[in-house]
Formats: sequence, C-alpha cells, structure tokens
Amino acid sequence: MNIQLHTLSEVTGFNGRPGHFTVTVQKHPRYIDMDKCIACGLCAEKCPKKVPDEFNMGLNKRKAAYIKYGQAVPLKYVIDGQACIYLTRGKCRACEKFCPTGAINFEDKGETVQLQVGSVILAPGYKPFDPTGWDFYGYGQISDVVTSLEYERLLSAGGPHMGHLVRPSDETEPRSVAWIQCVGSRNTNNCDNGYCSSVCCMYAIKQTLITAEHAGAHSIQQTVFYMDMRSPGKEFERYYENAKTRGIRFLRSRPHTILPGPGGNGVCMRYVTEDGAVHDENFDMAVLSVGLAPAPESRQLAATFGIDLDPYGFAQSANLSPVNSSRAGVFVTGAFQAPKAIPRSVTQASAAAAAAAEALHAVRGTLTRRKSYPVEINVHGQAPRIGVFVCSCGINIAGVVDVKAVAEHARTLPHVVLVENNLFTCSVDTQDQIAARVREHQLNRIVIAACTPRTHEPLFQDTLREAGLNGYLIEMANIRNQNSWVHQREPAAATAKAKDQVRMAVAKAALADPLETLTVQVDPKALVIGGGVAGLTAALGLAEQGYATVLLEKSAQLGGNARRIAFTAKGEAVQPWLEHLVAQVRNHPAIEVLTEARMKTAQGSVGHFVSDIDVNGHVRTIHYGAAVLATGAAESCPNEYLYGQDERVLTQLALDRRFDTDPDAFAGDGSIAFIQCVGSRDAQRPYCSRICCTHTMRSAIALRERHPHINVYVLFRDIRTYGKREALYQRARELGVVFIRYTRDRKPHVTADADSLSVACTDPILQMPLVLKVDHLVLAAAIEPNATEELVSIYKCGINADGFLNEAHPKLRPVDLAVDGLFVCGMANYPQPIEESLAQAQAAVARACVLLSQQEMQLDAIKSMVTDRCDGCALCLDVCPYRAIRLVEAVGQNGSTTRRVATDPALCKGCGLCAATCPKGGIFVQGFTPDQLRAQVTAALQVVNE
Amino acid sequence: MIDIRIGQLAQTFDVHRNTIGNWIKSGRLRAVSTVGKRYLIEKEEMIRFCMSAGIPLQRIAALTGSDVPPSPSERPIIPSPIKREVRMSAKPIGAVMVVGGGIAGIQASLDLANSGYAVHLVERSAGIGGAMAQLDKTYPTNDCAM
Amino acid sequence: MSSTFEPVILGFLCNWCAYAGGDLAGVSRLQYPTNMRAVRVMCSGMVHPDLVIDAFGQGADGVIIMG
Repeated sequence: MNIQLHTLSEVTGFNGRPGHFTVTVQKHPRYIDMDKCIACGLCAEKCPKKVPDEFNMGLNKRKAAYIKYGQAVPLKYVIDGQACIYLTRGKCRACEKFCPTGAINFEDKGETVQLQVGSVILAPGYKPFDPTGWDFYGYGQISDVVTSLEYERLLSAGGPHMGHLVRPSDETEPRSVAWIQCVGSRNTNNCDNGYCSSVCCMYAIKQTLITAEHAGAHSIQQTVFYMDMRSPGKEFERYYENAKTRGIRFLRSRPHTILPGPGGNGVCMRYVTEDGAVHDENFDMAVLSVGLAPAPESRQLAATFGIDLDPYGFAQSANLSPVNSSRAGVFVTGAFQAPKAIPRSVTQASAAAAAAAEALHAVRGTLTRRKSYPVEINVHGQAPRIGVFVCSCGINIAGVVDVKAVAEHARTLPHVVLVENNLFTCSVDTQDQIAARVREHQLNRIVIAACTPRTHEPLFQDTLREAGLNGYLIEMANIRNQNSWVHQREPAAATAKAKDQVRMAVAKAALADPLETLTVQVDPKALVIGGGVAGLTAALGLAEQGYATVLLEKSAQLGGNARRIAFTAKGEAVQPWLEHLVAQVRNHPAIEVLTEARMKTAQGSVGHFVSDIDVNGHVRTIHYGAAVLATGAAESCPNEYLYGQDERVLTQLALDRRFDTDPDAFAGDGSIAFIQCVGSRDAQRPYCSRICCTHTMRSAIALRERHPHINVYVLFRDIRTYGKREALYQRARELGVVFIRYTRDRKPHVTADADSLSVACTDPILQMPLVLKVDHLVLAAAIEPNATEELVSIYKCGINADGFLNEAHPKLRPVDLAVDGLFVCGMANYPQPIEESLAQAQAAVARACVLLSQQEMQLDAIKSMVTDRCDGCALCLDVCPYRAIRLVEAVGQNGSTTRRVATDPALCKGCGLCAATCPKGGIFVQGFTPDQLRAQVTAALQVVNE
Repeated sequence: MIDIRIGQLAQTFDVHRNTIGNWIKSGRLRAVSTVGKRYLIEKEEMIRFCMSAGIPLQRIAALTGSDVPPSPSERPIIPSPIKREVRMSAKPIGAVMVVGGGIAGIQASLDLANSGYAVHLVERSAGIGGAMAQLDKTYPTNDCAM
Repeated sequence: MSSTFEPVILGFLCNWCAYAGGDLAGVSRLQYPTNMRAVRVMCSGMVHPDLVIDAFGQGADGVIIMG
C-alpha cells in the first residue's frame, strides 16, 4: 500500500538535490478507468482490431484493448491508442458498449504530475539485441530463424502455441535445433557491443534442456555453437555438465552463413570446426542467442537525470560503489547498470534500495501509512450465523452459472442466515454493504462465492476486519476462475458445481474459528559475521541506517581477502579505499567490532536471536533481530603443476604480491604462463571460481604494459570474462597475450629444470603438441569457501555440495537464507569479485532493514497447533521442512513425565506435513483443521449420497 | 585551445558519447563545438576536468600536449563505499522514485516500501513485470519465471 | 457401466502451485470437464491418508492430489 504505481508513464523532468528532488512524470492515457475495470476481458473480446502481440514477440496477435498477459499487474485492461480504431479513425467504440462497469473512457487525456522524492533508483532494464539486417544469419528472411526470446515464447505454455513447440514455417515439430551464441554480444565488427551479455550461455543451455522435455518420446537433435561456454555462477557448471550428459552437442564454432533449408523449411548452416574442416549441416530451426543491449530510452533517461553512461550505453558506476550513479542521490541497478542475470539484478536492486534509504533513514516512516481497525467482536462460542454473497462478476460468472439458483441453494444450507447476489462483490460500495449486513444481521461467518482467494481473500479479510470481525472468518468459493471461466459451454453442470462449491465453503466456514495473528517483537539490532569487505560493508550499512551492529571477525584483522588485492577490474586502487572503510567501521558509534571472536550458540528465531560469542577466550551474550553471514572464501592451495615443489610456480595472489611490491620483479623474465581452472571445474570442485579469468586478464595486461618484451601465455578451458569484463580480454589480445586452449582430459604437463619451466600442451588450432619454456608459471587456483560447518549446525541453515551457503531462492531471494532473519553476502555465497560482494552486502542490508524496521512483526495465523492427543512419538519432527517442531518433556502433578511436541510459530509456514504424518490427530493446521477438510469432503460428496 | 573529437573524449573518460554531450550541455565541461563533431576546449579547463576525473598525469600530458604539474591537493578522490549523509538545511523527503517496473524495479520498491519509505514506481508500459515475465523457465532450477 | 457415467472426483490442490494453476487456467479460459470438486490446502503434503479414505468411503470415484 506504500507503493504507488504509475503505469504508462515517463519521467520528463528532474531537478533538486539529494533528499529533495522534484520529478516530473508524464502519465499517458489508458482509456480505461483502473478503479472500474474488473479485468473481465470483454473489451478485448469485442475489440475488432488485431495487432502483433509484443509480449509474444509478435508471434501472434492481440487486440487493441488488451492486457500484456494473464497474470499482469495491475490486472487492468488498456487501450492501445496507436491501434484503436476509434482513437485513430473516430469510429467503433465497441468496447464501450459491452463494458459491464462503464470503465471505458475515451476522454482520458493523461496528465503530468510533479512528485517530491528524496532519492531515485533507475532500473529501466535492457532490450534484447535485434539481429534484423544481419543477412548472414537470415533473420527476418528465413522464417525458421528465430531469436532466443521468440523461442522462449514458443516454449512457454502462455506463448502463441500454448507450449507446443513448433517451428514457424510450417508449424511442424522440429527434429533438430541449433543455437548460435554471442549474437550481438562480444562483437565489435557488425555492432558496437564489445561486452559479454552474461546470460546467453546459460539461457541457451536452459532452452536445450526444456526443449528435451518438450520432445517427449522422440528426441530432438540439439546443437549449441559457441565461442566460450560461460557458466560462472552457482550451480551453473553442473547445469552445463548435465546438459552434456543429456546428449546436447556443444560445438566450439561460429557459423558464418545460414541459408534456407531444403524445400524452404528449416536452415542450412555452414560452419568451420577448430580443425579447419568446413561443414554444411541442415537444422529444422536456428535460434539466435541474442544479447542484452541498453534500452533505447535509457539515453534519454540519462540525459533527464544527468547521469553518465559507459561507452556501450549502460549506466556508469564504480566497482567500489556498484549502485551509485555519477549523480548523488540517483542510484542505478539491474541490466541498466550492466548485463546481468536475474539473481544479480534482484541483489543489486536490494542494494540500490539500501543506498537510496540510507540518506533518508531519519525520515523513515514519515510518508508511509498503516491501517487501523476497530476492536474485534468476540464470536467465540456463538452459533455460526453465515452470510453468503454470490457475485455475478458482471456476466463473467452470471453468463455461465445461474447465480440466482446458486443463491437459492445457499439459503437452504445450515447456519446460513443471509444470502445476497451482487453484480460485483469486490466493488467498494459492496464492501460497505457487506460491513453493514454484518452489523444488521450479527453475521459471524462470511462466504464469498466469487473469484479466487489467492487474489481477493486479502480484500475481503480487510472488509471483515473493518466490520469488527476476525479476518479468518471468511471462506471463498471460487466460482469464476475455477468454474464459469473453464466451463463456458456447460452452464448446467457449471451451476451444479457452483452449488457444490458454495456448500463446501459454507461447511468449512461453519467450523471456522477466529485466529490470532502472532506478533513477534523485533530486536532492532544486527549481527554481522565476517570482517571482509562484504561484512564491513554490511555492518556499515546497517549502522548508517540506525541499527546497533556487532561485527564478528575470527582473525585479529579486518579486511579479509581485499587486503591482498591492489586493484579492482576497473583499475580502482583497493587499499586506500579499504583503509577508509575499516576506519569508518572502527569509528562508527553504532558498530561494535569483536575480533578473534567465534560464535558458540544461537537461540531464538527471526526478530529475536540470542548468541553466546567467544571473544578471545571470554564469553559474551548478545541479542539481535537479524544476522548477516559473510564468512567468505579463500584461494585454495593447488596440488598440481609443481606448485609447492618449484618456487617459480605461483598462485595469482602470490604474483600480485610480488608485482605490487616491486613492479620490476619480473623484468628479467622472457616468458610467463598462466594456467586457468586449477582446481576448478574438476571432479573435486565441479564449479567455476568466477573471478580467476578476469584476474588473469588484469595480471597479463599489467605485465605486458610494464614489460612488453615478456611473452605472456594463458592456458585456458573457456575464457569467462563476463559482462563488461570482456573488454579486458580484448585488451589482453590486443597487447599480444597468447591464448591456448586445453581440455580437462588433456591438461598441460609441467616439468622443471634449472633454467626454466616447461609447459607441454596441445594447440587445438594447429593440432600440434607445443612446449612453452617459461620463467614463471602462475596458477589460477580455485576459490574455496571458508569452513562454516559450525555456523551451519548452529543456525541450521543450508550449504550446497561445494560448501557455499545456500540462499532461500536462487532467483527471487538471493541474499536471504532459508532460515528467516538470516542473510548471506560475499564469497560465502559463491566466489565473486569485489563489486558483486559489495552489492550483495548492501542487498543484505536492505533485506535486514525490512525486518529490523518493524517494531513488531505480524505472522500469518495459518500455523500448526498441537492438541492433547499428541503422545510425543515425534514422527512429525523429521518431516517438518522448516525445523519448527521440537520435542519437550513436562513433569505432571503426579511426578510422571510426559513428552509432547511443541511448534515454533515463527518458523512454521503452515504446510501441514506434520498433520498428514501424525497417526493420531495430535497436530493440525489452523484454518485447515481435519474437521474442516472432512466437512468439505462430506459437503462435496453430498450429491452422491442423496 | 585543444581541438578534440567527441569520440576521443568518450574514450578518454570511458563514457558514452552522449554523456560527453550531456556534460557540455550542462556546463560541467566547458567546450565550444566546431565542425565535424569536434570541440574546442581551453587547455586549463581540460587539465582541470581530467584531474577531477582521476585520469593519470601522463595521459593528461599526452592529451593536452603539455606537462602537468603534479599537485598533491588534486589527487584522485577515493570513492567512499557508502556516502556519508550530507547535512541538509531541511529534513529530506521520505519517498523514493523507482524508474522501471521490471524485476529489479519491483524488488527495490518492495524492499523500500517494506522498510518505511513511500515509493513511486514509474513504468512505461501498461503493467509491471518487465522481461522476466516473458521468460518461460529460469536456470539453473528450471523454475517457472512467473 | 453406462456411457453417461460421470465420475465425482475430489481434488486436493496446493495453494501455491496446483490451485494457482487452476486460477491461471481460468484466466486463460482453458476448458475442462466439470467433474472435480477442489479443496484448497496449504500444501499437498497436508492431505492426511485418512481424508483420502474418507472421501472414497463417502462415494468419491476418484481423488486427485495436486501439488
């Protein structure tokens, strides 16, 4: 309720200073009154004008009156002013005649508003690269050449063929599909996009796997043509390996020509493999894996807001302040800042929220609203007096279901004292009417026969609360989404079903009890574990937003890995910045730093944790509402390539240390080689360490720039300089760094003699063995997580097979842990460069602040309850996915001990696995009691038994 | 006076050409446009601007064709990780504008609204959801994007 | 069995997936037979075996648990 949505709107003016901006927003007309539209879809049905549907990439048509897609938010129709026959030619107005609520307003002119805000976040996103005009790929000329986003729509159940995969030319199922990677990315020849789009390798793999699922019995031959396979994210490498085992062919090649296939269907592709052989191959379909390009409107946006763009047109930001734009008070996030996948966008969005809120924390809560309700009427012990409201939803329900008959049926049901039929039960006036009826007839249970509780139950719960009833005394019968809309041709059967649905709802409502929403007091203090850059940033961010924070560091020093890093990928000096950061944390009045400290115990749950901390031998007890885990990771110790046996073999950090202390330390060298993926992407650590390719590029560039006479070789498997880091790879090649690829089954072999090291490998282009004589060998050692077993067992949070802390949801909750109140950031989550660790740390701050800013937290009342029948058999303990159940012993009056389970309502999510497991009805879920469910079953089957 | 192409300026400062244009329009960089997308800039202005952008001295010298006296006061400013609150004459406004209703804009709006700030979410199209809504499934879990 | 046999099927639908899917089918106007009566549950794991037996005992021709 504190988010005001301005759709069809653009920012046209911006001025002011941080904390006090004035933004001018131009709102374009929707021609449909949002307050009146009930999303029945009649306007679209009756609209005679068809235009290509941009949501489905123009693969099918939509009407001029439309919604973008079925689950659109806000779920309100819009009239496309460019296409509407009335608005363009002055005749038609069909929608207006049929709209049941009179929501159509052709007089809508839009408006311009001025808004006062303290901060601004820019997240205009990206646009998929458009390969139109690249004749060698035939896009736009050969119908079976599609972009990856078009293919995504073809795969989607909501797409033009409802998820039935067919090729465009003849709508037959393709038997072979080929993907071409890096279309519009890593390309400065046909376009100006020198960057890597970061997401295409992974989405191509995803599409191959989903395609395989669609194929069913007959298999589809799938080929991915790529330059480097880039899967440098959590669980990404396994995903890639999995695809390989599923028979998907990955070919390192870039097809240079696509021609129409035989008979004008499919494509014929010509490509050259690494050994120099030319191949012609036919495929039924070709998918162009198009990159992420800056949205065309972002240039205008940058000019309006006066912020800088980078050479590609993405927003300029520093690695050491990843969400700050060049203008104070304006923050940038998502794919507008750099091409990135969903989790990084979500993370960065939270980071921007933290940054935007920081300057405003003094006025937090001044412009937000909270609702107040009258005191609840106690209905306990009262006989049910049920009011049933049957909604016609215009003609949405009434057009199929005989609502009068349903209402008549409702009148015959036990406990029902009032039945009404409304045109629109959800409308504001009906809400007032329901509240009035509750008072007039002393109703104490309400049944609404209308649409789905998933979208509308909160609205009706609110109505009940305003009328002084507990919000859980409502039950909805879904006679629209799951009846009239899906049984349009069977009105009689639909009416019978609606009666059953109402009867089931009444049966359940009769047994409904008022439920108390649990409130938890929130301790407005935070704990941060780990004193690396992520932990430091998190602690500072939390303290700056006004929350007392304890920072725990196991060693004696703050700074972590960053103390050994001289420069970021963009060349910013890390050490002066780190010193400044450490000083800020050390001197902050709201931060207490505990070094040489270890956590011993943690009790409690979200909002109120208590922990014992061992600080250099002394035990301290601290209370906190939320914790951020930033335990970090470290460069591993290689066990191959003569590391540890020959001192000329170094790790990347050892090279940095020598080069940074003495830039001429390697001046006498003739050749230096780097080996990538040392200990990464192998059987022991089947993940990519993400940062080593970029690190090697920086080192190689620094060496060649300082000492042009040194030959620098990089032995790699795939170069993974994702995003804008690709520019470093290009720079390294321009400087003459030699790149030689090796494969996992043909690793380089290193031998040593007094003069030099010999690195034996095979050149894949020449198909010849090579021996490099080098003076130093640098190993890109894998990054491995710091030990967290102890913490994991204390907090009962999860780690993945590689030892990295697992987030609650990889896409949508990337910095929350599965245990509420705990957050993760930095390399404890996955290896990542400083800028990503900082963004994650700021995101963790934002997420923790959502929690800490509440004085008390309202929990949903749908929770499990233990009954007297529990005998403590503890079967439910093992099945509870949230570990919310524990066994407690109580001593009775006669001295005998009884065992029984107890639930922690703060952890319980109301899934009811415990209820289904319990053999004796000892535990149930409120609002879904066994009696209620049984009553519904009985009510449903009443027809059979009559 | 230094005669320089806009592309060269963009390369030097590692920004988009339009951004250079915006700087000149807003007066941050004082320059006069001449024919062929070229600009005339005072040498002192160029040195001042390069130094404020933290460009190394050698590169400034190469660009301006003259030596630049290294002055300790003009050292590149270390970006602070999180900017300290600036003292204001009046209390700031407890509202935030989020431009763009894709997954990033939505997440930022929710986090802010749920921690006590009013949010204005501005979206160009008729509904929020952005590009993610168009995706069928997401990697690496093959979860539905909706 | 006569050809007019219309089974009565009881469905237990998880609030977060199957029930949401049912709603989406409505928004998409996908047509399907009317025989199922849905009981919304918070998780398909909540459905106790006794409840399923109960349903059959009271004459359900089929029970479908979707989650």
